[in-house]
Amino acid sequence: MEPIIPGVVDLSRLQFAITALYHFMFVPLTLGLTFMLAAMETVYVVTGRQIYKDMTLFWGKLFGINFALGVATGITMEFEFGTNWSMYSRFFGDMFGTPLAIEGLMAFFMESTFVGLMFFGWDRLNRHTHLAITWLVALGSNLSALWILVANASMNLPQGAHFDPATMRMQFDSIVAVIFNPDAQAKFVHTSVAGYVSAAMLVMGISSFYLLRGQHRQFAARSFRMAALFGIISTVAVITLGDVLGRMVYEHQPTKIAAIEGLWHTTKPPFEPWVAFALPDDAKQENHFEIGVPFVVTPLVTHSFFTPITGMHELEEQAAPHIRSGIEAVTALKAWRDGGSADDLARFNAHKADMGYGFLAARHAPHNDVSSIPASKIEQVIVETEPDILPNVFVTFWSFRIMVFLSLLFFGLFAFASWASLKNRLERNRLLLKLCLWSIPLPILATEFGWITAEAGRQPWTVFNLLPTFLSASTHSFSYMVFSLAGFAILYSAFIAAELFLMFKYARLGPEDHTTHAGLAKPHNGDQFASVPAE
Amino acid sequence: MRLLSFAGLGLVLTVALLFAVFVGDQGPWYFAWVIGTVMIVLISGAGAILLDAQQEQTSLEEI
Repeated sequence: MEPIIPGVVDLSRLQFAITALYHFMFVPLTLGLTFMLAAMETVYVVTGRQIYKDMTLFWGKLFGINFALGVATGITMEFEFGTNWSMYSRFFGDMFGTPLAIEGLMAFFMESTFVGLMFFGWDRLNRHTHLAITWLVALGSNLSALWILVANASMNLPQGAHFDPATMRMQFDSIVAVIFNPDAQAKFVHTSVAGYVSAAMLVMGISSFYLLRGQHRQFAARSFRMAALFGIISTVAVITLGDVLGRMVYEHQPTKIAAIEGLWHTTKPPFEPWVAFALPDDAKQENHFEIGVPFVVTPLVTHSFFTPITGMHELEEQAAPHIRSGIEAVTALKAWRDGGSADDLARFNAHKADMGYGFLAARHAPHNDVSSIPASKIEQVIVETEPDILPNVFVTFWSFRIMVFLSLLFFGLFAFASWASLKNRLERNRLLLKLCLWSIPLPILATEFGWITAEAGRQPWTVFNLLPTFLSASTHSFSYMVFSLAGFAILYSAFIAAELFLMFKYARLGPEDHTTHAGLAKPHNGDQFASVPAE
Repeated sequence: MRLLSFAGLGLVLTVALLFAVFVGDQGPWYFAWVIGTVMIVLISGAGAILLDAQQEQTSLEEI
């Protein structure tokens, strides 16, 4: 086995985390703005009022800027699996590559084609066809996200594949099992709808900017109204679907849920408090300055009042037999592959459910080879491996809380904004408008922390319970990783700067002048879709 | 022509029904996403049309 260089693994993780987080600054807006455009254009086609066409065109322009940069930042990530995570790709590529390839096809063929038609088809397509195209753009962008999330769910809850000892990799069994993986379902709806919240906040915030300055008032009022309603329903949905995802994590990833809730010991229901604030100490395995709300965590996580949640100490203890069995599995596998007998294969098959734990123990084995652990040292290796099953609790705990607290803030903001808009009291509530304006980046921040929760919480695994992260990376040199990481950071920062510059520029310019009042006129009799000339 | 339109719409409805039965059974959250997204879009659009109606019924310039 190649020597494992911890620094290279950490840098590979950092590089992927940075590129993924950069990329995900663009994705939520794409997912949500496309459906907002579909809503605006639908109203245009139904009412025939020019102002809704102008809204579609203006917000479509901001979508276009975001879409272009989103695509550019996403492409590199696909290559990173091969360059930086070749061991992972070797082990799991059969399984992961399929949805990833479909995602690529979906993004480059369906989504990009329809985006082109949407932007350049206004004068070439009739209104119904154009509306259908806009809906297809929305569908295509969200289906692209679906395939990535299906691939991600395979890593969190592997289904539809089995490990083949002859090829030493996961072999694909069923595309249906992969697509309908419950983790994929919950993650897709949660992530997609989180994108709707981000887009609604962008539209509401920029509309607030116009209302605060008394510009484009009719345009801004309609955009604000649509965004507020879009946002409040989406926020309710994203919170509900987050609970679904939480249940999924509770059922399949006990270490992640224990880290999310900061539970070092198994809970004592029903009194057990939900830890609202604490400073988890990973080294000492305890929480400092803990503030909890009694009777909340059990129903919140388990949807019952009397089901205990296993704590991290107990999970460590429960891992011991799995680690022992995993060492047996990996030792038997190596013996069989080195020309061993059918007995070795039978021994491997008897323990293969715990194979991942055997790989996890390799970090503490001589030369990272568990088959070379002397019998007298096996218990020591097991004890050393036990804490490795836990993710970084501080990061997982706080990234989850930031996401949750922000989503509750959005709920309040969208509810108030919807009420003020429905009562036509927007311009009286200048504080609300300022809050909406300054809240534009917050949903994107919340989605970023959501991803940190999901991915940091999955550690120490790339493929849960099957392949540890430290065995997944390529064997690059340390300097190669530093150089490529610096390159990505500079390039992606330039992308972000370009996005912000263009977004600010076009948002400040606002919609075309003729939309201010003329578009409000009722459609002409007999020509429902005639444009009203500019004032 | 009308008959063709009717048959076409009937086909679309049948496919939608089969889709709903299959996806609702195999992937309830995917189904919820389809229904929920359409609902979000329509309510958002209805809000804008309501604003048009509110402004037509009142002489108030307030937004």
